Amino acid sequence: MPPGLRVWWSRVRGLLGRRALERDVADEVRSHLEMLIEDHVAEGMTPAEARTRARREFGNQLATRDRALDSWRFARLESLVRDLRHGLRGIRRAPAFSAVILLTLALGIGATTAIFSVVYTVLLRPLPYPEPDRLVWIGESAGTADGISVTWGNLLAWEAQSGSFEMMAAYARGANRTLTGEGEPRVTSGWVVSHDFFPLTGWRAAAGRLFTEADDRSGAPPTIVLTHSFWQSALGGADAVGRLLTLDGSAYEVIGVLEPGVEFLDPQVDFYLPTGLFFSGAADRTRHGSIRVVARLAEGRSVEEAKADLDGILARLARADPGPEDDHRAYVLPLSTVVRGDLGSTLWLLMGAVGLVLVLACANVASLLLGRSVVRRREMAIRSAIGAGRGRLVGQLLTETLALAGLGGIVGVGLAHLGLAWLVARGPWGVARLADVAMDMPLLLFAAGLTVLVGLISGTAPVLTRRADVVAALKEGSPSAGAGRAGQRLRGTLVVGEVAITVVLVFASTLLVRSLVTARSAGPGFDVGRLLALELRLPAGTYPSADSRRQFYETLVSRLESHTWVESASAVGCPPTWGDCGDWWYSIVGRPPPARSEVPVGLFDVAQPGAFAVLGVPLRAGREFGPRDRAGPPVAIVNETLASRWWPSPADAIGASIKIGGPYQDGSVVEIVGVVADASQTSPDVPARPEYWLPFASDPHGRMTVLVRTQGEPGAAIPAVRRLVSDLDPTLPVWSLRSFDDVVAGTLATRRFSTWLLTLFAVLALILAAVGVYGVLQQWVSARRSEIAIRMALGAGRSSIFGWVGLHACTLVGVGLGLGLALALGASRWLGAVVFGVSPRDPITLALVVLGVILLAAGAAGLPLTRAIGVDAGRELRRT
Amino acid sequence: MSTVDDPPERLEFLQGTLEVLVLRSLAGEPNHAYGISQFLERQSNRAFAVDNGSLYPALQRLLQRGWITAEWGKTPNGRRARYYTLTRAGREQLAEATSRWERFVEAMGLILVPEG
Repeated sequence: MPPGLRVWWSRVRGLLGRRALERDVADEVRSHLEMLIEDHVAEGMTPAEARTRARREFGNQLATRDRALDSWRFARLESLVRDLRHGLRGIRRAPAFSAVILLTLALGIGATTAIFSVVYTVLLRPLPYPEPDRLVWIGESAGTADGISVTWGNLLAWEAQSGSFEMMAAYARGANRTLTGEGEPRVTSGWVVSHDFFPLTGWRAAAGRLFTEADDRSGAPPTIVLTHSFWQSALGGADAVGRLLTLDGSAYEVIGVLEPGVEFLDPQVDFYLPTGLFFSGAADRTRHGSIRVVARLAEGRSVEEAKADLDGILARLARADPGPEDDHRAYVLPLSTVVRGDLGSTLWLLMGAVGLVLVLACANVASLLLGRSVVRRREMAIRSAIGAGRGRLVGQLLTETLALAGLGGIVGVGLAHLGLAWLVARGPWGVARLADVAMDMPLLLFAAGLTVLVGLISGTAPVLTRRADVVAALKEGSPSAGAGRAGQRLRGTLVVGEVAITVVLVFASTLLVRSLVTARSAGPGFDVGRLLALELRLPAGTYPSADSRRQFYETLVSRLESHTWVESASAVGCPPTWGDCGDWWYSIVGRPPPARSEVPVGLFDVAQPGAFAVLGVPLRAGREFGPRDRAGPPVAIVNETLASRWWPSPADAIGASIKIGGPYQDGSVVEIVGVVADASQTSPDVPARPEYWLPFASDPHGRMTVLVRTQGEPGAAIPAVRRLVSDLDPTLPVWSLRSFDDVVAGTLATRRFSTWLLTLFAVLALILAAVGVYGVLQQWVSARRSEIAIRMALGAGRSSIFGWVGLHACTLVGVGLGLGLALALGASRWLGAVVFGVSPRDPITLALVVLGVILLAAGAAGLPLTRAIGVDAGRELRRT
Repeated sequence: MSTVDDPPERLEFLQGTLEVLVLRSLAGEPNHAYGISQFLERQSNRAFAVDNGSLYPALQRLLQRGWITAEWGKTPNGRRARYYTLTRAGREQLAEATSRWERFVEAMGLILVPEG
């Protein structure tokens, strides 16, 4: 151990073994004295003489002992403890003052920590898989479509030829099956994965085994791996390995159960099936299923290098065997990007906003402390005069602030904990990772760091204005007269900054509120009242043929329509606001064929006759599908966005033909018979994409959404709808049955939530800024009472005093307002991503903000102004 | 000349003089604080009057650095006393300090007592 460290360590031990040290030194001094006395007696002195002599010779015993022990102490630490005690005493002496500071800090720290927890969990925390930084997600891209499925052929070529990856695994979501034979029939959802999926995610089996390479080969036996939660809910946690489960009428042998608490992209997976069941063995490069690839990059490979490598392999394949997909390329993203989704902009906006609130809180606390430091000038001056060094005083001030900040931090973490529970419960995040957000070590460290930072920042202001003007401070009679000019200036600056920040926050929240209002009044583009959505998935086992599926849905719809409580009914594959259920290429027959990379993409779907009438989506031209479309020439309906891209008016589109799949893919040519208005595909604040529909009868899916417009309250019809379904097929589970009201309300939930939070922050900012403005003006007025009295004595009227103080207030607020508006306009660039329907530099919003801030300032300045004009000149002048 | 172009080290050595002398006094045999002060006074022909207010803290500092150890023992007169013993690190430190001091004295001598 080096001597420096050894000394330090000895002090640590000294702290613990203090008593033993003290005893040793005291004993040593005593024995020293006794030996001295002994020697003196031996020289011939009387014992009394010897003792006196020895004491004199030894010197000050007490000081010797103390100085010997001093070297074992942490001098700094002990003075810190002293400062801390002093600081806590100060907090108790001024309870109201301390409470305001504490509350301000707790709110700032708490809000920041809560939002940061969400940001950290969703955006920053490493993914829970081995080597998360090297995991990538791979799809194919072709022309304008990115992330489409990878073909088996391409995947096999990549696996065999690429050196950029340590491991690659295929997965396909949405292997949904109806489970029978375990109580009520139920809809279950599974994924198909290749065997490397499990080593990639690092998951282990809680029982049995996971897939091996043999399970990837075609002709693999029908096996199944269950998730822990499905094993619990479906099989009651009973011994499962080796059991047979019946899914869609086929038996699968359970070979393993996964460990609990693992998930990948989708929290609601019930089971995993091996790829061998679906992979035919034929490596056709153009046969798209629905597989995507997750892979781990080889050590030191970048995403770009890996993509270039995969693209090279695709290009080689295209040269060796030209085909329709020669322009396909790899689409490679870091897995974290895929997992984190598109919450980024919203979360960073909230983080920025809450950061500004924290800055405001710091500024307010600094300002309050500055105000108080004026009062404490004399105390400090006296301490300085009796020998406390400047460093010592600064240390004491900072310690006091840090003590306050520490308390604020503790309360803040408590607030953050509550706030977080609320955020998780109420937030429409749709992010599974958020469920496991907790105030764990990294977040507590963040809160602690934040607290220290906040304490230092707000504690620095009073220190900065502390000059060595001891004499002046001691000579001054009154603590306020002329004192702390520098402090006043600094507080003025702080208030200007506070107003500016508030303007930015209020501006942003007003923009979001206006966006929300616009999005809401824009509406979803169809009639959501009294409308039910019944989702069904017909199992391939019981409905193997297109005819059986068509017949089922047609019977269901006609039975529904026969009831009096149903106004109308129909079905589509993917109703409005359901999101992106699939897109495909198309091209317009008779137009010059687009280049391979330019083939347009549209959402595509199927619809039964009358579906748009039931939805209340207006027809712009032509007609809906009818019964005759089943047998007649192939037809399509397009939405207004698609029609307006190619034709001047909707009517011009009627009679034109589109080629499904575009010029480079197989697909039929269909005639446009109708153009319907745009309805929200995901949510009212997302612009519509081109979309086209084919008649359900021409391509009867098993997976449809039946639309039911009821006569009365839709909730009351729900049991009747369920009964109808089970009358038709008792083994068919209802996938979902909801009122559109709920669905549509959900589409704006994220926007509503972030708007709400941002508005909350803006209100907090307004309150903090109001307190700041009030505090500074109040101090300004009380420092100028004599000046006001003199002005009054010299004949100034109340209105002129009012004007004088008012001018000061207006200067502070005006400068802050100007600065804030400049900042807000600068920030509007980043707000563009979250604003809908209003310009990010919307003048009405700006006007509203200016008005709001002026009102705030007037409110905050009111009391100080009244105090100023209420000064009793005679009494004030006699007092001085 | 190269031996004297290191002023901070020399200064430190001067400040730590008492500590070096204590180490030297323990070079022969373990001793207690009273014995050490007697030794120093005797060896310096009473040029040094050892102040206990400095000696005790110096002993503690040496203990903290691990250059000496302390143990309670008995004096020849049968009295209980705390005996200090030089450790190996302390011995090395003493050798180093002594050689530094010799170089220092030599350099000072060259300047203060010119030849001839």
